[in-house]
Amino acid sequence: MTIKLASKKILVVEDQPIMRETLKHILGSFGARFIVEAESGINAITAMRIDRFDIVLCDYNLLRGKNGQQVLEEARHLKLLPVKAIFIMVTCEQSQEMVLSAIDNKPDDYLIKPFNQQQLLNRIERCHARKTYLASIENEIDKGNLYQAIHNCEQLLQQDDKKMRMQLLKLHAELAIKVGDLKTAEAIYQNILAERELPWARLGLGIVAFFLGYHDQAIKTFQELIEQYPVMLEAYDWLVKAYESAGHDEHAVTSLNSAVTLSPLSILRQKKLAVLADKAQNLVVAKKAYAAAIKLGKNSIHGSSADYSGLANVHLKNNAANEALKILYELNQQSQNDPEAKLRAALLENEIHQTKGSKALTQQAYEKIFKLNEQFNKHASKELRLEVARVFYLNGNGEICDEILNDLIKTNIDDKPFIKDIVTMCNTVIGENHAETLIQRIKKELVDINNKGVSLFQEGNIKGALAVFEKAIAKMPDNQTIILNMIKIIIHDIKTSKSGPDKIMSAQSYINKAIQIGIPHHQIGSLQAELDAIQCQDNQ
Amino acid sequence: MLSIGFPAILASSVHDIKNSLTALRALLSQLENVYQDPKPTEFRQLEFETNRMNNCLMQLLTLYKIESSQFCLSIDEQSAADILEDVVAQQSTLLSLSNVQLLTECHDDLFCYCDGTLISNALCTLVNNAQRYCRSKILLSVAPEDDYIVFCIEDDGNGYPENLISSDHKQLPQIDLANGNTGLGLFFTETIAQLHVKGDKRGFIVTDNNSQFGGARFKLYLP
Repeated sequence: MTIKLASKKILVVEDQPIMRETLKHILGSFGARFIVEAESGINAITAMRIDRFDIVLCDYNLLRGKNGQQVLEEARHLKLLPVKAIFIMVTCEQSQEMVLSAIDNKPDDYLIKPFNQQQLLNRIERCHARKTYLASIENEIDKGNLYQAIHNCEQLLQQDDKKMRMQLLKLHAELAIKVGDLKTAEAIYQNILAERELPWARLGLGIVAFFLGYHDQAIKTFQELIEQYPVMLEAYDWLVKAYESAGHDEHAVTSLNSAVTLSPLSILRQKKLAVLADKAQNLVVAKKAYAAAIKLGKNSIHGSSADYSGLANVHLKNNAANEALKILYELNQQSQNDPEAKLRAALLENEIHQTKGSKALTQQAYEKIFKLNEQFNKHASKELRLEVARVFYLNGNGEICDEILNDLIKTNIDDKPFIKDIVTMCNTVIGENHAETLIQRIKKELVDINNKGVSLFQEGNIKGALAVFEKAIAKMPDNQTIILNMIKIIIHDIKTSKSGPDKIMSAQSYINKAIQIGIPHHQIGSLQAELDAIQCQDNQ
Repeated sequence: MLSIGFPAILASSVHDIKNSLTALRALLSQLENVYQDPKPTEFRQLEFETNRMNNCLMQLLTLYKIESSQFCLSIDEQSAADILEDVVAQQSTLLSLSNVQLLTECHDDLFCYCDGTLISNALCTLVNNAQRYCRSKILLSVAPEDDYIVFCIEDDGNGYPENLISSDHKQLPQIDLANGNTGLGLFFTETIAQLHVKGDKRGFIVTDNNSQFGGARFKLYLP
């Protein structure tokens, strides 16, 4: 055995005492000393808050409360699992794996019941070997250094370890897609498919087509995959995205509905279905999906007050104000310590009483919104803030409405779907051109800042230029143009004046940020290469 | 009952039985620890039977899903050595209780394209049966043959009865209740072999009594 269990912290999550006992016995007989047991999902999370575990064995079917998938999602979300930790999900049958598969949170491996001690150890060993092998890549991914991760991946590929080759190629292609280097990803998938028809490589080609904007081709690829592999949920998820981007909202709802039928316990799919169906005016589907999301949300980190207000709004659209009131009551009970939930509840209250025609109660709710907005507005999600802006306008306060809209446009100017949401809201509630005017004004402001920074830079005033862009980033953290210019100036500064680890680190963190907000490879790749070259020189 | 639907009833029954089986095996291993070596031979029988129940359940569920078009292979490149290792691990408890030797032969750099879990489950079923019918030895090997990867199980028992020897297992073999062997394992393996396709080639199985040890020989061909 290559893994030394004696030095590992192990968590066993299992509701049956006899199974916990047996697992402890097996692990103990192979040298494990530090074993913690949890008989429920909540206890598992508590245990993970106290100790950083190396290995988690988690039963999927936990009798009460959270299931294994919800435990995994929460642990990853709260960053309770170290990158190198092994999470093994224990399930009852093979096909459960696929149906369980959440949108992105997969365990490191599955183990099917019943299993003996040798099977358990083999599984742990294999996971350990794989994770150790891929550590140099996973660590960089965790830090957001995707280019370094790709570099490490390429180095491992050169060692030509046949057993790991496919995994490395898969990872390499996925990373290439993440940084927007679609050509590389496409070439990898094509090479694999020339060797053998593998579903994940075919899916990858579809994803590349999607990002290249060839929506019809992507849709066709995903449809064919689903025909051949009717429970391949990832193909459904991508098909939905492709339909959405191509503007076929109805088809998106239908496909997502099929995926949800296959995996009814996936809360993220239920939430997405609710919102999509709501937008497409398919109130029957929306109602069902919101209700499912609320139910699943009670045991999930992804549960949110948005599901409650979504369902209540569907009731309002169906002229069922009393049903909406019931949901509001439930939401109020859940929202004690959650400002976002309180804000949603107040908005809902305002809406319901307006529908019912009670002026006094409407006004009372509006005052609540006013107060909560002053306290929490900036911390709320962008969708909620847009909703708040709308309600302010409807209640006659256009000034606060514009204040919020301006801020939303400024921070999200590159987020095209959201800007479209803003325009749609303004067009239906305020009037044509209102959003356009605001957007044009902000774009001009941006150009001015940019020009000012660039001209300072051209005059040789690097410090001045950096200061302009730093200030702009503080105001508009997700703006692509500003971040790109910032990176260019820092790199120029490193090249022309003294280099130093601080400057290099700052450039790298802006590059990571740039990838995160979706600046494509053809814009960022050469900057990363320049930075790598500088680092190489420094190290010599 | 109809409002729940048969698939849900089947799935939920299988889960319950699996949980019971898991608990049963846990209890068995606790009980086993009470005894000194040599352990009573009943433990071997119990291990064999629980393996068999588990294999039957897995086959039942998979065949049902194939029949009702809810099944989907999860094909990827698999290391043949890993698949053999899984089979040996699954059989390890039974082996430790018996005098049977399970030998493996496989090149480390041999890969095949298949649903790894499904193939190792199918092989487990067959090796579990071989343990019952062999005298002392089973050889589990993998090697390339033409355009196929071939998994082979050979033993030193009395060989397959006449009715289980054929190269066509698409039909359920004749049920032979007297020997307690219904041939379902072979039928199952043939069915999933057929799901593995490359171009115009499909997987298949062959059974004969040409084992190098004089007993039964089973071969699974994957394209």
